[in-house]
Amino acid sequence: MDSSPHLARQQWMSLLAQAEPGELATAMEAFALPADATWLRPPQTGLYMLRGRVGGTGPQFNLGEVTVTRCSVQIGTRVGHAWVRGGNSRHAELAAYADALLQDNEQHPQLSQHVLEPLRQALQARRDAASRKAAASKVEFFTVVRGE
Amino acid sequence: MLAAFADPVFDSQRNFREMLQAMARPMQPRELPLLPPSPAPITPAAMALLLTLCDATTSVWLQQPNDEAMHHLRFHTGTRLAENPAEADFALISDPANMPPLATFAHGDMRYPDRSASLIVQVEGFRTDAGAHFAGPGIRDTAQLAIDGLPERFWQQRAEMAAQLPLGIDLYFVAARRVAALPRTTRKLES
Repeated sequence: MDSSPHLARQQWMSLLAQAEPGELATAMEAFALPADATWLRPPQTGLYMLRGRVGGTGPQFNLGEVTVTRCSVQIGTRVGHAWVRGGNSRHAELAAYADALLQDNEQHPQLSQHVLEPLRQALQARRDAASRKAAASKVEFFTVVRGE
Repeated sequence: MLAAFADPVFDSQRNFREMLQAMARPMQPRELPLLPPSPAPITPAAMALLLTLCDATTSVWLQQPNDEAMHHLRFHTGTRLAENPAEADFALISDPANMPPLATFAHGDMRYPDRSASLIVQVEGFRTDAGAHFAGPGIRDTAQLAIDGLPERFWQQRAEMAAQLPLGIDLYFVAARRVAALPRTTRKLES
């Protein structure tokens, strides 16, 4: 476990939520849901209001609503939660289940290696592709000095 | 932690339908269709009512609060837990023998009589062939019901409140699977 378990959990929850549902399903295939798992909150889809601040410090404004699916599962004494963007219930279920498993110190290393690491690489690859695409269309603006 | 309704929307709607019917026909017990798991001291029937009625815009007061029950309610309903009975929209009475006086709960004001508390009282049982007779809107002639586990002073306090109509308190009694409602408009007949 990380020296700061809270922060570490935030990071893996973020990674699970940002993963493509297909990638997560493939990565989680090896980890079958145990029989004692209880779905505390089956996947529920709703809307969240996204709020922002100009420059991070300005006044709050409503950016718009975003579809979010949430889910919670209990395995033994550990409760896994997930909030994922979009309406994919399977994605929310898998992310909640992975969160519960990741809190188990015995299973954490295996999940970290077989689930989190591939997801991190895939996310990085998607980000790189997006920034390359954006860079290719970059336009340099300049002003011609007018002779007065 | 425990789960709540398997299908939060439809399950609470089915229970709400029965509660509506119970309120429309006072003091006639009805069976709740779905009972969710519940942490002590909340009974499954009382939990069914709380899950149906409470959300982030309501507040609940628990007579016997404990961490598990509070956590459970917050997680599944998003409700606020009221510190004192006068601020609560809903109150759960799990030990009717020691319940606070009815006057401690909100009973609305003349401009907004609806800003009053609804009480959910966990009682021991109902008997429809014994007890007092009741009359009022929703009751043809009279209805008879004995509520086991309710102290005598409850009826005295309720009689004192009756003069304040339209102000007052509405109650749901729950025992096992059944729910019976006692709105403020129902009169207890002297026998």
